Amino acid sequence: MADAAKALSGLLSGIAQNVYYEKEEMTEDLLRRELFPDLSEEQFRLLFDKMRGLLKSIATADMDPAQLEAFLTAQTRKQGSGGVTPEQAAALSRFWKSQRVRVRESLLAQSRWEPGLRGLSWRVDLQAAAGRPDAAHSGPVALVELELGRAGQDSEFVCLEFDEARVNQMLKKMADIQESVDRIVQHT
Amino acid sequence: MASRDTSFLGGRIPPEIESMSKSLKDVDHETFRRILKAVVSALEGKDSRDVMKAIAESSTVPQERLSHIIAGMYRVLSEAIRIPTASLKQEAFKDDLRELRIPEDFITDFSSVVFGNRRAALEAATSQNDPHLPTIEQFKWRVDVAISTSSLSRALQPSVLMQMKLSDGSLSRFEVPVSKFQELRYNVALILKEMNNLEKRSILQIQD
Repeated sequence: MADAAKALSGLLSGIAQNVYYEKEEMTEDLLRRELFPDLSEEQFRLLFDKMRGLLKSIATADMDPAQLEAFLTAQTRKQGSGGVTPEQAAALSRFWKSQRVRVRESLLAQSRWEPGLRGLSWRVDLQAAAGRPDAAHSGPVALVELELGRAGQDSEFVCLEFDEARVNQMLKKMADIQESVDRIVQHT
Repeated sequence: MASRDTSFLGGRIPPEIESMSKSLKDVDHETFRRILKAVVSALEGKDSRDVMKAIAESSTVPQERLSHIIAGMYRVLSEAIRIPTASLKQEAFKDDLRELRIPEDFITDFSSVVFGNRRAALEAATSQNDPHLPTIEQFKWRVDVAISTSSLSRALQPSVLMQMKLSDGSLSRFEVPVSKFQELRYNVALILKEMNNLEKRSILQIQD
């Protein structure tokens, strides 16, 4: 029984790897061989498709715990091969509790077409030579590298230079953006 | 600084400065000043072609000598401004020019450019020529909320779209999820703090 539950959990995370986290090596065939060697291809296909379908419904609706419970209860009441066993319902519930945030993140990323900001690194320099060591009017300079990239593609890097006034300006804009985001978040 | 063995121009006098000192013979002081003024404004990054042309047309100095003078002056000033005033004293500068047999009046004029109140402007202008990374010329943003997508029926997720026009002419547009935006904002604030600290402490006191 414990083994069956483990195999089901394994299957769900395998499906998630394949469908949501872009690990294509996690194939249906591999999952069958590793987790359900006793099932025929036909039987496994039915199980796999059912689980994938349920997961998709749960993920697309981004179900909260109450919604999930109602959904699974309805599914377990269904008769025949379309129905869900209590073990399967338990496995789905466990899986969703731990993976909801990550799956949602991955689904959001699927509808993001502009390159996203992946990271930034920076350093602050003082210009020391090349010209004027009396750094009187060549104040500190910030060098910033933005890492940008589309999902599944390599990063591009944009390097920028800021003097203090420009950093200040940028910070002001960030505050404006923050204010605007906060307004929206409060409304929803 | 009494016993310096090299001139501020280095061990070997640049050829344009040597030809300048030869070409300066019997140039009158007024012409010298007009040329100097034009060279200084060129160093400051201003377009001085028209002034140069006017000088060339009105002056009795032949074109070729005039161009030697201009090239030499440009070199003298840019070399002298590179060196911090702590390292190049006014007297040493004058001595070096005397060695080149430049007339005393002209030396005084050179010196007042290098050590006078134009220096700050000249330094600032020439620092524009140092290598730089591009800066942001224009920054636009937009906050979006994805309501529903092909993969998520109720997304309701805010995100920030940013577009930057850079000084090298390139355009960069990217999306920043809210969590990343917090990181970005935090870092910008941190950068500013670092810069402020640096200015206060002025930790870099280079002496040579």
